[in-house]
Amino acid sequence: MNPFAKLAGMVTKPKPPVGTTPADVIHRENKWRLLRYRPAAGSAGPRFETPVLLVPSLINRHYVMDLLPGKSMAEDLVKAGHDVYCLDWGTPGDEDRHLTFDDVCDRYLGRAIRKVAKLSPRGKTHVLGYCLGGTMSTIHAAVHQEHIASLLVLAAPVSFEGEVGLLETWTRMPSFNVGDIVEAFGNVPWQLMQSAFTMLRPTLALSKAVHVVDKAVKDDPINANKWEEFSEGFRALETWGNDNVSFPGACYVRYIEELYRKDSLMKGTFTLSGKAARLEKITVPTMCIVFEHDNIVPWQNAAVLVDQIGSTDKELLKLPGGHVGAVVSRGAQKALWPRMSAFWAKRDADVKVRVTAEHGHANGHANGHTNGAAVAAEPASAPAMPPPPRAKKAKKSPTRSGGR
Amino acid sequence: MIWDTWKKGFDAWENATAKYTEHWMKSPLVLGPTGALLGGAMKAKAAYDKAASQWVGSLGMATKRDQERALHTLNQLESRLLDLEERLVDATTSHKKD
Repeated sequence: MNPFAKLAGMVTKPKPPVGTTPADVIHRENKWRLLRYRPAAGSAGPRFETPVLLVPSLINRHYVMDLLPGKSMAEDLVKAGHDVYCLDWGTPGDEDRHLTFDDVCDRYLGRAIRKVAKLSPRGKTHVLGYCLGGTMSTIHAAVHQEHIASLLVLAAPVSFEGEVGLLETWTRMPSFNVGDIVEAFGNVPWQLMQSAFTMLRPTLALSKAVHVVDKAVKDDPINANKWEEFSEGFRALETWGNDNVSFPGACYVRYIEELYRKDSLMKGTFTLSGKAARLEKITVPTMCIVFEHDNIVPWQNAAVLVDQIGSTDKELLKLPGGHVGAVVSRGAQKALWPRMSAFWAKRDADVKVRVTAEHGHANGHANGHTNGAAVAAEPASAPAMPPPPRAKKAKKSPTRSGGR
Repeated sequence: MIWDTWKKGFDAWENATAKYTEHWMKSPLVLGPTGALLGGAMKAKAAYDKAASQWVGSLGMATKRDQERALHTLNQLESRLLDLEERLVDATTSHKKD
């Protein structure tokens, strides 16, 4: 096909179908909703005992984890047999300028975790936090981990010192007064944050345009659908990247002042609803995934988590790629998502319970986990989706309201 | 072929330019005045909003801030009720177990 026709097609095509995996809303509070993805039609329903809760960043739409049909993390996890839930933070209203970090990270996130955990026979849920969602999940786990079966964080900053990125430099400027922004706007406008992200690499938009032209020029004679696939993925990612939400004002002030400026999470001085959030209190199995070329969250600032937590079952995985691409790309679908699924499958039940079931005694401490921190490289070949430990009857979705 | 050569040149330029801009984006020479400008604009907007709000308030009407506070309080009330509901369910469940 003519490259010009390809490019023109990109502009004229309708918006790609983002976030379309069928889901039910099982809880609503203020602007946020808790979604439960439905099992694939004809499937026997979730095969694993412990559900998975996806916690996206507060400033981005949740559908980054459910980007396109056939290219959706949520859809793939559901297909792999997980009972998948997602926290959709929604769009804050003007009144949410008063929403504090404690409200979001303790009350809202806590409620989501408890709601999901109560629907599980184990009374616990795996938690996956991405970016700021990962930071909040970590802070929450440092205070309340009773309903958390395991913690998996993707590109989540916990340290804001050391390897300093541009965002850290800007927020630490004495002339940058967070209070002034919140006083003027209430919630921090997404346009302001979007501009800041653009300024991280001002040439990125141009570079992306050239990359698109390059893809259009180079025909792939073997795979005729390659352009269509690329084009749809690119447009979906751009749709998501330009669909941001504002940051609740009071929450933003604490986030910047305490975490970015004082680095209080690492120093052990951060509190959540008055309770000390100390990373060493996290003892649940933890997997920390960082990306080598992440210019939003330098990998060192995220990887440091495994050194700080008290878990003996912890794993650090450093992968090539950037902050978003490495999480939602075709490569992620082949390598990262199955790896996450395998992590949860291995920790589907409490160790003692599993040992009892497998060996008929409950006093063993042996487990099949990777004990101790280990830096793993990207696997050469994608691990296969793990086999289900047991077949469970399809659960009827306890919905309060209909689909999305 | 021509495209590939141009693309290589572009990539080299883009990389160099990105490094150069990153250097300047970290420089206090840029950040100081930019921060001051942003802060000044924010203060001006806040002052204008405050004056407008006072005028609306002087007419005896609820200001935007008043409405925001009221709505926030309602949201907080909803959350507290949900907290209470959860605690009641937990208490009932543990009572039944006993």
